[in-house]
Formats: sequence, C-alpha cells, structure tokens
Amino acid sequence: MNDIITTACKFVTSSIGRKILVALTGACLLLFLVGHLAGNMTIYGSSAEGSWINVYATGLHSMPAWLLWAIRLGLLAVFAVHVLLALVLKYENYNARTHYQKEGTLKATLSSRTMVITGVMILCFLLLHLWQLTLNGDPANCYEHVVHGFQNPVCSVAYIIAICCLFMHVRHGVQSVMQTLGLGTRKVRPLYNIVAVLFALVVCGAFISIPLSVLTGILH
Amino acid sequence: MATLNLTLKVWRQENAQAQGRIETYQAKNIPDEASFLEMLDIVNEELVHEGKEPIHFDHDCREGICGMCSLTINGVPHGGKKVTTCQLHMRQFKDGDTIWIEPFRAKAFPLLRDLIVDRSALDKIIAAGGFVDIRTGSAPNANNMPVRKKTADAAFDAAACIGCGACVASCKNSSAMLFTSAKAAHLNLLPQGYPEKNKRVLAMVRQMDALGFGNCTNQYECEAACPKGVSVDNIAKLNRDYMIACASEAVGVFS
Repeated sequence: MNDIITTACKFVTSSIGRKILVALTGACLLLFLVGHLAGNMTIYGSSAEGSWINVYATGLHSMPAWLLWAIRLGLLAVFAVHVLLALVLKYENYNARTHYQKEGTLKATLSSRTMVITGVMILCFLLLHLWQLTLNGDPANCYEHVVHGFQNPVCSVAYIIAICCLFMHVRHGVQSVMQTLGLGTRKVRPLYNIVAVLFALVVCGAFISIPLSVLTGILH
Repeated sequence: MATLNLTLKVWRQENAQAQGRIETYQAKNIPDEASFLEMLDIVNEELVHEGKEPIHFDHDCREGICGMCSLTINGVPHGGKKVTTCQLHMRQFKDGDTIWIEPFRAKAFPLLRDLIVDRSALDKIIAAGGFVDIRTGSAPNANNMPVRKKTADAAFDAAACIGCGACVASCKNSSAMLFTSAKAAHLNLLPQGYPEKNKRVLAMVRQMDALGFGNCTNQYECEAACPKGVSVDNIAKLNRDYMIACASEAVGVFS
C-alpha cells in the first residue's frame, strides 16, 4: 500500500504525470462540450408542448437532486484539476525559460502558444455563463431567456468572442491530448491535427450559430 | 566567389554574474562557402587585430557529429536548417542581412561567457539512467541477437541525438523532453536495454524534473529545430513508458 501511495504522489508531482492529468481532464471536458452542444441544439426544434430546449432543460432539472449535484461537483472537480494544474505547469514553464532578445518560432501554432490566455478567457466566460443561465435562469422558459439574452448585441458579441477562444483552445487541445497520452506517432499526428481542427470547427460553429440565428431573426 | 557583408547582433556577457547586452559588429567580405563558425572566426580575427576581446563560442569537431556547437541564430537554435551551426553555410544568408546571435537560453543551461552555456544538466540526465548496467560485450555477430528491422531503425533514429541541447533552447518552455525521450527510447527499444526499461524511465524523468527544465506542451519546436531530425514520437513513447513504469513501481513488479 505504501508503494502505491508513494508512487502516486511522485506521479502527480512529476512533469509527465501532471500533463497526463491535464490531458485526461481535458478529454473529459471535451466530452462534456459534445454533450452540452447536443443539448443546446434542441433550441432549433419545437413541438406542440413548446420549444424542445424548454423540455430538455426541465428534464435536466427534474433529475434526482443527488444525481444533479454529483454531476455538477464531478464537473467542478475535473475543471478545477484541469485549470489549477495547467496554471502551475505554465508558471514552472515560465520560470524555466530565459528570454531571447530576438524570438523565433519554427512551427508552434498560435493556438498552442496562447493556451493559458484562451483558457483564462474561457474560465471568465464560464463564470458569466453560469451566472446568466444557471443561477438566473428558469428551465421552463429557457428558450425565451436565451433568445432575449442574445438579442442584446453586447451579449452576443461577448459570447462569439468566448467561443472563438474555445476554438483556439480545443484546436491545440485535441491533438495535444493524444500526444500526452502516448498515442502520437508520425503517421497519425497529421490526422490528429485534422481531427482537432474539424472538431473545433464543428463544435464552435454550432455554438456560434445560436447567437447568429437570434441576431438574424431566425430564432425569435 | 561571392562575398557577403553582414551586420551581427551578438550577445556579449563577461561571466555568469555580469549584465549581458547585445553588441553590433560588421562582418565584411565573408565568403559564401564559409561555415557560420568560420564566419565568426573571421570576425574574431579582426577583433583580435583591433585589440578587442573576441566573441567566445563553443565548437569542437565542426563536422556536425559532436554536439558541441550551439548558437541561437535569429531566434532559432542552429538557425533552423536541420543542421548544426558548424554545418550551416553562409550561402543561406543574403548580402546585407542582419543576424542575431544569442546563446542557447534556458534556466537549466547557466551562461558561462558570451555564447557559451553549461549544458551539463543533460549529462546529469544520462548519468541518472541513460546506460545499461551490465557488460554487453562488443558488437554481437550479425543475427546472433534478433531485433526487428522497424525496432532497430527506431532505436537508431533516437540514438542519432548528439545531445547539443537545441531542443531545450528552442522549446517555449525550456523542456528537455525530446533529449530525455530519445536517450531513453534508444536503450529501451533494444534487447540490451529493455530489462531495465522501467527503472531507467523513472530515474531519467525524475532527474529531468529535478534539474528545473520546463514541461512539454506539444508544440514540436524541438523536432523542427533538431539538427538530427529526432522525432517527437519518442516523447509520446516516453509518456507511455512513464505510465507503465509508475504502474509497475506502484504494484512492485520490480523493486
């Protein structure tokens, strides 16, 4: 038992171990993103009982309280590990460097170099997003609340900027997860890159379609 | 024979404690077939004639195989042409160019003088586990010890690392993952090194962490800057091997 605890402690304090934790929690958050997107897309459907998103939101809230809170706390834990470890790693990386007078870059993408900036932007957006829709929302009137919110151009533009940050973050994140988990080889790495861009395009494009639909009057 | 006239912006620093600065030099009539180091030799001869201190830089074999030469040229270690600085020729530059020459920068590579840094941190990673404990004898007879062709090729490609430190210097996080992973993969892939794979991986990664290198963020600058084309496949392999080694250590598969 002692060996297991000792090794586990060494693992979660090592560079590779912490990177693996960031990658695994990142992968969980990518899955959450897919689920969240699938839920959001119900805004485009409606039936006799009203908008599907109202049915969906009411359904989510009618699940047993313990399950709802287990999911929420689980997500919070995953998110906290992802953000805190990433910030600690970034701090170490910054301190490991001595800066060049003339900086040069060969192939590091802009998104890979701005992961912390886009990540912090997403964190700020998330807090606003939770405040606006989870804390001050009513599941039964979800559709009306979302449409009313996005009719404010400031709100829509802020949302679109946040999702663009998400695009940058996910575009590097998806292929980085594969490499950190040891699944990268020179044969599949270009494929991961394409998958990362496509995934980010589809997910972020679909999210952005909602404020655009509201602003252009498709959703009203 | 074409000649070049260049402006050099060179990092000068008397010792580790001194305040460093960029100084400007004119390099005149440089033959385009000269290597980058020969260009610096020409500039240094002029400096000596003028009674000034020459620019100090590391070099040894000048054949691209020893890993001693360094120099970050225009922000990229070895100039980013997939060769070492000694094999970089002046025909790669144009007449009138301004060239920035800085040392290989990283906290783990303390600066000694001008463009010379102490890269012994890499030796410490090797000393932690980059070896085989037993006597393996001289080169075995052909086919005495079967090794798959693909495995032999991968081990050979990893072994091409000359330990120059360009991966660390090019990394935005000063991570030594490409070096460490190449050295570990080289031995882990072969029958002589395989029995100590877990022990080696744990020792080398822990030593790498202790020396103050940064953490890899999968930007692959190292692979692009490596004069020997060492692949980041080795980094993925090290990540894999590290997980396996930790699991083995935790459950006591080896002591």
